[in-house]
Amino acid sequence: MNLAANANVALYSSMIVYTLAMLAFSWHLSARAPHVAEARTRAYEREGVLVGSGAPSRGSSTLPDAAELPEHESAKSRQRGNIALMLTYLATALLLAAVLMRGLAVSRPPWGNMYEFATAAASAVGLAFCLLAKKNNWQWLGVFIVTPILLVLGLAVAVLYTDAGELMPALKSYWLGIHVSVAFIAVAFFTIGFAIGVLYLVRARREQNPDTKPSFIESLPSSASLERTAYSVNMVGFILWTFTLIAGAIWAKQAWGAYWQWDPKEIWTFVIWTVYAAYMHSRATAGVDHRKSMYLALTGFVCVIVNFTLVNLVSTFVGMHNYSGM
Amino acid sequence: MSTDTSTDLATENPDNPGRRAEPTLPELGALGSLRFVWRQLTSMRTALFLLLLLAIAAVPGSIFPQRNIDAGRVADYIAQHPSSAPWLDRFGFFDVFSSPWFSAIYLLLFVSLVGCIIPRTKVHLKALRARPPRAPARLSRLDQHAELTTDLSPDEALAAARELLKRKRFRLHSHDDVSLSGESGYLRETGNLIFHLSLTGIIVGMAVGHLFGWRGDVILPEGEKFASSAGTYNTYAPGPWVNDEQLPPFVLGLDKLDVQFNKVPGKGFGMPREFTAYTSLSPGPGQPATPESVSVNHPLTVDGADIFLLGNGYTPVITVKNAKGEVLYREATPFLPQDADYRSVGVIKVSALPTPKQLGITGFFLPTAEPTFVNGPVSLFPDTENPEVALSIWEGTLFPGNAPQSVYTLDTDQMKQVTKADGSPALVRLKPGETYQIPGGRGSITFESVKRFAGLSVRTDPGAPISLVSAILATGGLILGLTIKRRRVFVRVRPVVASAGGPDGDQATPATVVTIGGLSKDSDAGLASIVDALHDHLAERKDRS
Repeated sequence: MNLAANANVALYSSMIVYTLAMLAFSWHLSARAPHVAEARTRAYEREGVLVGSGAPSRGSSTLPDAAELPEHESAKSRQRGNIALMLTYLATALLLAAVLMRGLAVSRPPWGNMYEFATAAASAVGLAFCLLAKKNNWQWLGVFIVTPILLVLGLAVAVLYTDAGELMPALKSYWLGIHVSVAFIAVAFFTIGFAIGVLYLVRARREQNPDTKPSFIESLPSSASLERTAYSVNMVGFILWTFTLIAGAIWAKQAWGAYWQWDPKEIWTFVIWTVYAAYMHSRATAGVDHRKSMYLALTGFVCVIVNFTLVNLVSTFVGMHNYSGM
Repeated sequence: MSTDTSTDLATENPDNPGRRAEPTLPELGALGSLRFVWRQLTSMRTALFLLLLLAIAAVPGSIFPQRNIDAGRVADYIAQHPSSAPWLDRFGFFDVFSSPWFSAIYLLLFVSLVGCIIPRTKVHLKALRARPPRAPARLSRLDQHAELTTDLSPDEALAAARELLKRKRFRLHSHDDVSLSGESGYLRETGNLIFHLSLTGIIVGMAVGHLFGWRGDVILPEGEKFASSAGTYNTYAPGPWVNDEQLPPFVLGLDKLDVQFNKVPGKGFGMPREFTAYTSLSPGPGQPATPESVSVNHPLTVDGADIFLLGNGYTPVITVKNAKGEVLYREATPFLPQDADYRSVGVIKVSALPTPKQLGITGFFLPTAEPTFVNGPVSLFPDTENPEVALSIWEGTLFPGNAPQSVYTLDTDQMKQVTKADGSPALVRLKPGETYQIPGGRGSITFESVKRFAGLSVRTDPGAPISLVSAILATGGLILGLTIKRRRVFVRVRPVVASAGGPDGDQATPATVVTIGGLSKDSDAGLASIVDALHDHLAERKDRS
């Protein structure tokens, strides 16, 4: 019981640090916007001068991406971005500790009910972001990742909280560790892909109407670059989701005697898979606007949310996956 | 399409002068029309549309109760929605996944898929044998390109480029002396094709399972035995091509069912903790039995059939005697649980009596009865803390017209409820060991004891391994198809004479201009780094020489 209480303390602490990280990331964006926009203009002018100067001619005639130009970021903005990143590392470490202690308290994988799934998924989002942020200069993305993490943690603590306890027999299987963990890691990638996807759509719109008042959006990487990143992240999510589906089917065969019975959770897992598959196909089809494809990916994420909330909690969707603990 | 008919050309019809000719669409013919339909069906846009349609069509299956999951909930829904439910039923909303419209979508999708992968497989097999194409004349027009001047001779430069690209697993070919073509990432399309082919494999596995698989469910009280055959299951659902004679003839006895519930008050009180059935299993009648246990997540396998523990409940042992004290009925009768606290309903049909004097006893079994009954018969906890039965008694004809009926329902059409002397219905509440004298000298009912029953499901699915292998292959193919990039890299060399201001004055030294171009079908962040690597590799060579 002591361990479970400590887990809660760690969780609350991580929420406090995530809040600070969120503020720091916003602070970073506010410092970044004008400077990066200026840097881009300067770079553009210099590029114009360089043409024909005999330097090795490379194919990059488009505007350089802000994310590719960290050296042009003002010292102030870079400093704030790094502070925010450090805070995110700390908060994620605390959250991972909370998940780990919860797992030790209940002597099983700590994702056996909605509360535990939400916190584990939030920690996966945090961890995935931490692992990718430094390398890809994702400081601009931070606020759009940390805010949903906070939202989910808040919801988990306020609405979904379930005391540490033993599982019902159907969940007592090593497949809980495999199927459910891959599921929430997939959800973590879909969450990051969703955030970048929304930013891409906003950025693409502003690139078409450049006269609008400048904002931090201008400091983001180009829409083409955002689109590529969102695609890659969603692709990882999609592969993991495929694995989730198959692992779930194997477990269902063991627990319920049939690998596929069109239980509501299975249906929505299938719907999510199908929608993201449609996104992958749509993007691979020549002549389809990438923005249209992105709307499919966003729809897929809405289905992920429906699958976690409505399907778990609304009695219309009653089925065999009734493990919400609510 | 080439069916462009220009009606603007005012061609005169020779047979009917003065009138403008009808626009002449080229005659497609039956074969041509078929080909047109086929092209439409196998186009990516159609596949995309069908894929989305499939996702949308699956959703009603999660909103409306489905017969294949819970026929009882469907019946309740129909009773509660008398105006809309018949229409929903007519359009298959209670059997979404076997409805014609859902089947039509996925069949069309799979036809489209096959129509797409067959030609693509042919193209890919050809590409696998083909050489990389000739290098374009102007590599600077490609997505990624670089240029450098080196002291290496043209042949040396090409050799150096070949060396690096070989290491990066490019397939290489020189169509002439001044260029090199390289291509890599053939596994991308291989992966794509494996993925799509494996999806059809999953469907084949499902079809095999449907045709050759069977399931039988049986309710087995503690201390009783069950011999597997088509006739002995409570419900038996064979696939269309199953030979009922070939079911495994095992005999399963339930020695004990261990069930535990959470007794800690608060959230989760009464939640199940453990279900384990201790059984004795023999492969056939008369053969020695071995002790085996079945629990949730741990099925038992015998002769290719898996035995699952899917449910449990209580079987009150009830004895009915006539006025002379002769036993008319003594059985452990399964009562089916209705809620998480195992308020269970069941029926006892005393058919040993002549019609219309047969007795039907129906009512509740409560493992932990709420004693006051203020809210009717309610159970407070799923375990037997305070077991009690609450029954009503009916008299008349149990099986009107000898029509088959469920053992869990009582058809009271031709029965009347037994009343006490004052005319009020006789309601029986018994604890284990208690006896009730039925009014009117009809005999007695005794609640002897209570035993648990196990709800066992025996299933075979010969298609499952096919689906599993296909699914694993599909995942592998998906990973290859999504992560590997198809790339082409070209190198062109052009000898030039560079004038170097050496000590000997204006002496012309031979040099080579190398242009590198990279091309990728997909958005490919890695292509630039390959072109860069090639550039640096050649530049280094220059420094060394």
